[in-house]
Amino acid sequence: MSQRSALPAFALVSPVQLMVGGIIFLPAIYVFWLSLNQSSFGQAATYVGLANYAKVLSDPYFWRALVNTVIVVAVVVHVELLLGLLMALFFASGIPFRALMLAVVLAPYAVSEVSAVVMWRYLFEPEVGMMSQLLATIGLPPIEWSVNPSHGLLMVCLLSIWLHLPFSFVILYAARLAIPGELYEAGSMDGATGWRAFRRITLPLLMPALLIAALFRYIFAFRLFSEVWLMTGGGPARTTEVMAVYLYLEAFRYNSFGAAAATGWLLVLASLLLAVVYLRGLYREMFGKHA
Amino acid sequence: MRKRSLPLALLKLLGVLVIAAWSLVPIVLIVMSSFKADRDIFSVASRFKFEPTLVNYIQLWSRWGDFFTGLWNSFLVTTGATVLAVSVSLLAGYAYSRHASKALQASAFFLIFIRLIPPIVITLPLFPVVNWLKLNDTHFILILLYATFFVSLGTIVMRTFIDQIPRELDESAMIDGASRFQIIRRVIFPLAAQGMLAVAVFVIVYAWNEFLFAFIFTTTKAKTAPLVVAEMIGAVEGVEWGVLFAASAIQLLPVLAFVILMQKHLVAGLTAGAVKG
Repeated sequence: MSQRSALPAFALVSPVQLMVGGIIFLPAIYVFWLSLNQSSFGQAATYVGLANYAKVLSDPYFWRALVNTVIVVAVVVHVELLLGLLMALFFASGIPFRALMLAVVLAPYAVSEVSAVVMWRYLFEPEVGMMSQLLATIGLPPIEWSVNPSHGLLMVCLLSIWLHLPFSFVILYAARLAIPGELYEAGSMDGATGWRAFRRITLPLLMPALLIAALFRYIFAFRLFSEVWLMTGGGPARTTEVMAVYLYLEAFRYNSFGAAAATGWLLVLASLLLAVVYLRGLYREMFGKHA
Repeated sequence: MRKRSLPLALLKLLGVLVIAAWSLVPIVLIVMSSFKADRDIFSVASRFKFEPTLVNYIQLWSRWGDFFTGLWNSFLVTTGATVLAVSVSLLAGYAYSRHASKALQASAFFLIFIRLIPPIVITLPLFPVVNWLKLNDTHFILILLYATFFVSLGTIVMRTFIDQIPRELDESAMIDGASRFQIIRRVIFPLAAQGMLAVAVFVIVYAWNEFLFAFIFTTTKAKTAPLVVAEMIGAVEGVEWGVLFAASAIQLLPVLAFVILMQKHLVAGLTAGAVKG
């Protein structure tokens, strides 16, 4: 059962490794090669060095997409973590219909991006949608998501938070339930109740889970595509594009594979940068402290 | 610590109602509106009180045959991706749980690292290759892509679950002369059912709802249901809301029922995947 049977162990992991290696890793490397070449679909490539990167980095639409992505990711992930945390604490404090409410909170997890877009467009349809009318009743300006770029992005944020809140909530709620009740009892004897108990006991013990949830959500929010594509299509006039939408348009509409590949590698690098702290910790855990 | 006062109880009830409204109103609204006639869909007076009708479903059936083909394609692709992802994750999860070596650990690290690569990036090189292999617009390519994007999470979840199965069980089976595959089939498989269900829930929800890969790699024959719904959103200027709601409701309700039924496994899988991976 130990070292001598390492070969069969490799046989067992090989299907998984072949799949991710052949379908994700090798293509990703090939994208790097593509990003150094001038090519479009069906044509031979010629080496152009970093020209594609220079082209992308001097494209104002790229910068617009990058800024949009950063704003949406920052809003979505932080609002989501805050709401998830509040809900986890609320659930842990004992609420009526807890089991039923757990199912209710998980419901959006089952909804496709496509159906979610249908729902939120219906709610915010100008003038006639239920939320549009509610906003008008309380005297707020309407959300003109199809003409006003910042309103369009606001809808994308709302939609993403709604779709992914179940994930953040589950991670944080499970972590909160794992904190032993005795800690709070001991804390209350030392006078730590309410806010002080939260600051001294809950928050430090939830920190690892908060960081994990944040990391996963940063990385996954960064690749945001469908919500934007289906809600605004990147418009009006390319103002609400995010990185993945920009990449898609470069590749499949403007036939500029080199520029798209360069964007792709910038996306990979951004994800790596976000994850490097986490991966380093994991690597140390796996290979011992000396690594 | 425990003061049970009426104002607090009411406040909690209010909180519960707000959370329920946030989660459910969008879903309930489109399911409800799928039974409304056109004139009732945006009318305030008939928001909750209306004459239910099946006219949207009939319209959907007679004019969007594509949608039902799409549902069938979604079903095939989801089934294929789930079977593939769960079986290879089971094998790999077992190996990672029972064996330890530097090389194996490095390959586990590779699986986690791979999750950082965004799906849209690999569509660039895959698109011409898939065309060349004549695999575009087939169920096979979607099954392969969907399974691949979940095997690393699947493996991590399976390892976490198999770690909880005592090693003595496989050792005694080995002494009885069982081969490795017999051990997996007779000992691990029945006891790891929980973990396999957790992985299955992830893959099923993902494959049933996925948009990006279906959008890029299918055109007609293997087009999935979300893609047809997206076409309906974009159809001409005037969206036919009633028919769109009927389609969304049909696309949504089976997987919603499934998630609620499987919520225990979903929560277990999410925590196992996030803590370890």
